[in-house]
Amino acid sequence: MHRKILEIDLTTQQYRTYKDDDLFNEYLGGTGAATEILTRICKPEVDPFSPDNPIIFANGPFSNMFPVATKTAALFKSPHTGELGESHAGGRLAMAMYNAGINIMVIKGKSAYPVLLSIENDKVSFHKANTLWGKSALATYRILQEFEKNKSGKASIVRIGPAGERLSTYACATVDNQRHFGRLGLGAVMGSKNLKAFIVRGDQYEKITNLKQYKAVYDKIYKAVVESDQMKKYHDMGTAENILPLNMMGGLPTRNFTQGFFESAEEISGETFAVKTLVQKIACAHCQCGCIHLSSLREQFGQDHSYKTFQISYDYELIYAMGSNLSINSTDKILRLLHIAEKQGWDVMSLGVTLAWLTEAYIHGLLTKEHTDGLDIHFGDGDTYIEILRRMTKSHNELYRDLEKGASWCAEKYGGSQFALTFGKNEAPGYMTGENAFTDWLLGVRHSHLDGAGYSVDQALFQKALTVEEQVKKLVDESVYRMLSNSLVICLFARKVYDMETILEGLEAVGEKRDPQWITDFTWKVFRKKYEFKKACGLDFDKLTIPEKLYHVTSATGKTNRERIKERIEIFRKLTGV
Amino acid sequence: MSKHLAVINREQCIGCFSCMFACSRTFHQAVTTEKSAMRVRIYSGTEGAFSIRTCKGCADPDCAGACPTQALVPREGGGVKLIEEKCIHCSKCVKACIIASLQWDRENRVPIPCRHCGICVKYCPNEVIGMIEE
Repeated sequence: MHRKILEIDLTTQQYRTYKDDDLFNEYLGGTGAATEILTRICKPEVDPFSPDNPIIFANGPFSNMFPVATKTAALFKSPHTGELGESHAGGRLAMAMYNAGINIMVIKGKSAYPVLLSIENDKVSFHKANTLWGKSALATYRILQEFEKNKSGKASIVRIGPAGERLSTYACATVDNQRHFGRLGLGAVMGSKNLKAFIVRGDQYEKITNLKQYKAVYDKIYKAVVESDQMKKYHDMGTAENILPLNMMGGLPTRNFTQGFFESAEEISGETFAVKTLVQKIACAHCQCGCIHLSSLREQFGQDHSYKTFQISYDYELIYAMGSNLSINSTDKILRLLHIAEKQGWDVMSLGVTLAWLTEAYIHGLLTKEHTDGLDIHFGDGDTYIEILRRMTKSHNELYRDLEKGASWCAEKYGGSQFALTFGKNEAPGYMTGENAFTDWLLGVRHSHLDGAGYSVDQALFQKALTVEEQVKKLVDESVYRMLSNSLVICLFARKVYDMETILEGLEAVGEKRDPQWITDFTWKVFRKKYEFKKACGLDFDKLTIPEKLYHVTSATGKTNRERIKERIEIFRKLTGV
Repeated sequence: MSKHLAVINREQCIGCFSCMFACSRTFHQAVTTEKSAMRVRIYSGTEGAFSIRTCKGCADPDCAGACPTQALVPREGGGVKLIEEKCIHCSKCVKACIIASLQWDRENRVPIPCRHCGICVKYCPNEVIGMIEE
C-alpha cells in the first residue's frame, strides 16, 4: 500500500500529499481509515453545504492487488439525512487512485467558480469549468474522456450532473461507465463546492516481493470469481434476477409499498430485461465478473425511419424504484426514466420513492393540480413520470424544486409522512421482505440495505425459525463484518469469495498481516466510531421510527409488529452498545 | 509453426483488464496494467467498446525496421526481441507500429515486446484473446 493521503483545498487551490503509517496500521484503509479522518476533521454540527464539510475518498489494501476489490468508499456529512454520509462506487476510481499513488483523497473548501480537478500522481491542476457547468453526467464523461487525450494510462472520471449543481440532496456522483456514489447526496456536496468533476490518473505501482505467495492468493480468488458459482448470479442476469423470486415471496415493493406482489413483474423481470434489452455486460477495472448490464433502447424520432438509441445500465434496485414501486410495467418506460436520472445525476432509489410519495400525496388530496401545475398523477403512468422528471430538471415550480429534496422533506412540508417510505430520512431500498430489512435500514450506518443485509435474514426465516434475538444478532454480525469488507475495499458482490481465511491470506500477501483478534477489534472500533459521529450529528435512537404505512401492509414475512420493532431496536442497541 | 497471441472475440471484452495485470505481474513483478505488452483501450463516447491491441507477430516487423540501433530484432516465429543495452530510448519503434500494439514502458523508457507466451490468455474470462497458429 502506498499509504499516502492527498489533501486538496478548493478555496485556496493548495494541496499536499503525505504518508501516514499510523493511520493505515490502525485503520487499514477504505471505510475504516476514512471514518477516522472524517471524525477528526468534520465537526458534527457543520452545515453539509458549508466549505468545511470534507469529502473523503478511500481505497484499500486490496485495491488493484486482487480481483473484484473494485470499490472506493466516500465519506462526508450527508445533506440528505444530516448525519453520516457514506457511499461506495466501482468503475476505475480505486485503480486510478492506486495508480496515482494515493489511498485517500480529502477534498475540502469551496471553489469560487465551477472547477475541474485533474489529479496526476501527486500533482493537482485546477481548471476553470464554466463550460462544463450544466452538462449532463453522460455528456461530461464523453467530454472529459478527450481531455488530456495525449496522456497515457487509465484515468477515472468522477462528475456530477445538473442535479448535483442544483443541490438536490440525493444527487449522486457518477464514476466512469454509469457507476455511482449513489446514496446520501455526495453529488450535492460536490455541487456545493462548485466541483463539477475530477480526473485521476498516474503511473505508480507496487512491486511484488513474494510472487509465489501473492500469486497463490490471486489465483485462488480469480478461480473463485471466474470458475465457481459464487458470483454467477451477478454475471448472469445481474441483480435484476431478484425481481421474480422477490415477487413470488411477496417482497417486491409495489405502488409505494402497498403490497409485495406486482402483477406485472414478469414484464419487467431480469429475464425480460435480458432478452428484450440487454446488449452487453461490462466490468469495473480488475473485476472478471462483469455485472454492469447495459441495455439498449431504440426510439423512432422521425417518419423517415429515423431512430435514436440510448444505452442505459440497469439493476434490481433501479427496476424496483422506477418499475414496480411506481406500477410501471414497461421496460421501455423504465429505461427512459433511468436515462433521464442518469443524465441528471439523481440517486434512483431516492428519486423513485419520492415519486411514489408524490403519487400517494396526490391521490390522497394533499397535493392538487395547482401544486402539480396541471399534471394528473397516477401509479402506472410512465409518460407523466417522464414529464415530472423533465419539470424537475427545469425547476418548473415550487413542488418540482421540493421533489429534489426527497420524500421526508416533502412530507414535512406538504404532509403525508405516513407514506413517505424513508428510514432516517433516506428512501427505502427495494425489499419488502419484513422486519429485519426495515430494522436494518432504520439502524444501519448508511440507512441502507447494504449495511447488514436484513433482507437476507428475512429470507432465511423461510428455511429455519429463529428467535428475534437470533435474527438481530445475524444482522449485527453482518453489519460489523462489513466494516472489514468495506475497508479492503472489496465489492460486496464478492463477499462469498472473500471469506475470512482468504482475507487473512490476502493481507499477508500484500504485507499487511493481521490476526483474527485484531480484525474483530478493528471492525467493532470502526462500527462504533461511525455511531459516535452519527449521534453527535443528532441521530436519536428514541426518535427513529419506521414509516407508519408499513404497519398496515403485509410483507413477505407477514405483518410488521410495532412492539417487535421496538424490541429489535433494543436488542440491536444491547448487542452493539451504540 | 509456433503460436502467437491474437484478438479472437473483441466484442466479448468486458474491460476487466485481467490480461494486462497478468502480463505485468509475470514479467515485471508489478501490480499495474501499464507494464503489459498489450493494451485494452477504452473509447470515448461509446460505452463498453474496447479496442484490444496485441502484437501481430509480424514476419517483417515495422518496429524493428524503425530502430536505429538494432535494439529490436525479429524473433523466430514472428514479433521482436529487445536487446536492452542497445536501446537509446528514442521511441521510434512504438511510433512505427501504427496499430499501436507495441507498448512503451514510461518508467524505463524502453519498448515492451510481447513474448507471445499466452499468460494474458490464461487470465481472460471471456475468450477475447487466444493463441493461434497461422
